[in-house]
Amino acid sequence: MLNIRWKYVLKRTGQMILTMWIISTILFFIFRLMPGNPLVAYIDPTFTEEQQQILMQQFGLDKPLWMQYLIYIKNLFRGNLGESFFFKDSVLNVIMKVLPNTIYLMLSALIIAYSVGVIGGIFLAWKRGEKVETFGIIVTLFTRAAPQFWVGMILLAVFSFQLDIFPSGGVSTAGTVYATEMQKLLSLNFYKHLFLPALTLSIYLLGLPLLLMRSNMLDVMHESYVEMAKMRGLSKTRVMFKYAARNAFLPVITAMAVGIGYAMGGNVVIETVFSWPGLGRLLVKAVSTSDYPLAQGAFILIAGVMVFMNFVADILYSLLDPRVNIEGRK
Amino acid sequence: MRRNITIALSVLMVFTFIFVAMQGMAIGAEEDRLVREVSLITRPKASSPDEFETITILAEAMEKVGIRATVEVMPWEQMADVVWYDREAWDLTGWQMTARPERLDPDEFTYNLFHSSTAETGYNFIGYKNPEYDRVAEEQRVTVDKEKRRELIYKSQEIIAEDVGYIFSVNPLVNIVYNNEVFAADSIKEMAGLGIKNFWTYINAEPISEQQDFILNSNDTVQAINPLYISGSVDSWITELVWDRVMRMGQDGLPTPWAAESVEWLDNTTVEVVMRDDMTWHDGKPVTVEDVKFSFEVPKTGEAPMYKPFVDIIDEIEITGESTLVFNLKEPWAAFETASLAKLNIIPKHIWEPIIEDLKDKPENAESYQADVPIGSGPFKFSNWKFSEEVVLEANEDHFQAPKVNHWIARFIPNMEATLGMIQNGELNFLATYLGDNQLLQQRVEESPHLTMVSSIDLGFRFLAPNHRVKPFSDKAFRRAVASLADRELFAGLVWKGFAVPSSSVISPALEYWHNPDVNYPEAGIMEARKTLEEAGYEWDSQGRLLYPAE
Repeated sequence: MLNIRWKYVLKRTGQMILTMWIISTILFFIFRLMPGNPLVAYIDPTFTEEQQQILMQQFGLDKPLWMQYLIYIKNLFRGNLGESFFFKDSVLNVIMKVLPNTIYLMLSALIIAYSVGVIGGIFLAWKRGEKVETFGIIVTLFTRAAPQFWVGMILLAVFSFQLDIFPSGGVSTAGTVYATEMQKLLSLNFYKHLFLPALTLSIYLLGLPLLLMRSNMLDVMHESYVEMAKMRGLSKTRVMFKYAARNAFLPVITAMAVGIGYAMGGNVVIETVFSWPGLGRLLVKAVSTSDYPLAQGAFILIAGVMVFMNFVADILYSLLDPRVNIEGRK
Repeated sequence: MRRNITIALSVLMVFTFIFVAMQGMAIGAEEDRLVREVSLITRPKASSPDEFETITILAEAMEKVGIRATVEVMPWEQMADVVWYDREAWDLTGWQMTARPERLDPDEFTYNLFHSSTAETGYNFIGYKNPEYDRVAEEQRVTVDKEKRRELIYKSQEIIAEDVGYIFSVNPLVNIVYNNEVFAADSIKEMAGLGIKNFWTYINAEPISEQQDFILNSNDTVQAINPLYISGSVDSWITELVWDRVMRMGQDGLPTPWAAESVEWLDNTTVEVVMRDDMTWHDGKPVTVEDVKFSFEVPKTGEAPMYKPFVDIIDEIEITGESTLVFNLKEPWAAFETASLAKLNIIPKHIWEPIIEDLKDKPENAESYQADVPIGSGPFKFSNWKFSEEVVLEANEDHFQAPKVNHWIARFIPNMEATLGMIQNGELNFLATYLGDNQLLQQRVEESPHLTMVSSIDLGFRFLAPNHRVKPFSDKAFRRAVASLADRELFAGLVWKGFAVPSSSVISPALEYWHNPDVNYPEAGIMEARKTLEEAGYEWDSQGRLLYPAE
């Protein structure tokens, strides 16, 4: 741990806590200021005034706003995200039911996207000036611009409904019961269900690492040590991989760390197209039913991951690049 | 001579002046009489295309008789917030009543929608107040004699149509598709107002191929599987199957004994129920009359607030024999069988009694309690719940009407287009919910010999709700005129593409026994609307805008 100073870590941790507190406060007020009323989800001909009062009490909405806020912050410190209005279960429990699915989707998509992206970036840099390069860039830009639901629907129509190779939705076949999470992760059925949604997401994500890698490669290829390696007569492959790529790769790692944060809660489109039970859909449902605790809890979780991953990215960079002093001094 | 001309000119000028002044005053007076611009609320086109189109067409028609109307688009949550919690702040909104088995009895709609007691905070959100209607609604509620009650229900529909309580639109057609290579066609049962998606289909469906499971789709996530909580439409499909009830709504829409062998009215307020003696809980223990009594008493404790209105009328429940109970009601209630006996789930006392005791000291109630393995006595037992993904129920072979399929599986598929592909390739064998283009659905079904579509008139209906508290909709003639502008045949044909029938009552034509086909609802047409307005004294200004009748 040559570059890390523990004082720095402490300082960053303090900053992270402050950031999280600000985010939590903003979230608290945003939902309550938005038009919409949690009781609306319960309107029924037999929903009497008495029942409405009971519900308001249960939600804690009968208390003054400042009191609700203090209770909320107090609970947050204890790790208690509150109870979902809609599911009447602790927010943490509800989120944990879908979080693993989101993580599997996200990690597999990121791994595919970054693997293909990095190799693609190297390849395009290698083929600088040739027609293949232009074509490659156009295709990459296309993948980034194409709407995810459109790509998803096309993959679904072709590979699921036409060719019948993959199932069209869900995490497993109807009626399947896995005794443990491990059993699920070891079953082929699961991967068959995971493939199309992960592919759709990775098609969208690969643009960033690919173009980033290519751009870094092009920069690095002009550096003196690369020229030196070429002059020494090393093969193009060796120069590309051992000298250029290794260095061009650094920013991509940090991009991946940040990418994990982004990919956590924003996949509602893929989740809808492939009926994948994840955090994105849960979040949309929570917001539309004014389920404040669930919406807040989910957002806080996502924000927390993003803030943390940013921190991880910084640390990683300082570990990988000896030139970088973590506190920014040269 | 000159003097005469001067006098004549002066008189002419005076008259001209008076004439112009009068015109000016008339215009000023007209400004006061101008019917203000009204706003029509609708849900967005993307989520509710039929409502959006209906409101848009109505706004255009209103413009044709000089009523200035703007369309205001709001997502459902916001719309419900305004309409429900700010009852003076809107003019007209699109709305709908959905089909639920308990609505097979006309009481719920007849009373809750229009009785003045529910106008402030309850379901009479339009603010309709008519003492004559109140009397009819109250009387039908306590008239146990079916024929007499029917007359009252007919009368209530007449009053609402005459008064234009609602501006009616359509009863949609429920289109449900099933795979005829998986299920025998005669084992799929139709139910009044609900189509083939109903309890009787689930327990009677006979598998005729290797596929032994009933796999259907839902478009909303399951909130809870709790017999003391009315949580959502999909949730109610599940509770109906896992728990038994004293009676059930039959295919004809009328209550029939189920867990009971017989239900007899000893007098207007006393009901004797003889229970079956061959029922067991999914954990093996026998179902007793103690369990039944307990099930009806729990909501009275306040721990199951959603069910409380349905047991409030019960004064006392006596166990008079090994299998007999007597329900003593506080007063006669015609809908008791439907709204109470066919609605309450029979729950095991040995499991729930300690839970309810425990909850009495806590702020939360039974709605928050979610059992890991809910226990009922119904034709299906709980097997598995993958949150946000699917619910699996297993057939209860010991049940007196055991299902013929092995499992009942509800898959949560939010992607409507995908469900079309899934019913075709067999991933689903019953398309229970389809909110997309019905024409496309019909086309697909016609192309696929293994699919059958059954269309039935929905119990539920779509309508436009006028706010009776505020002008101009507070005026009956205005409402009748707008009702003439809301051409229901046009809506059924153009907006619903033929997959709906015009509606003229809150009681659907699917309920043949209760529906009144002969009500004085305004006829459609712009000329009709104009005539209605003219006869009531409305006029139009020089720009063609509508003016209230002169005082």
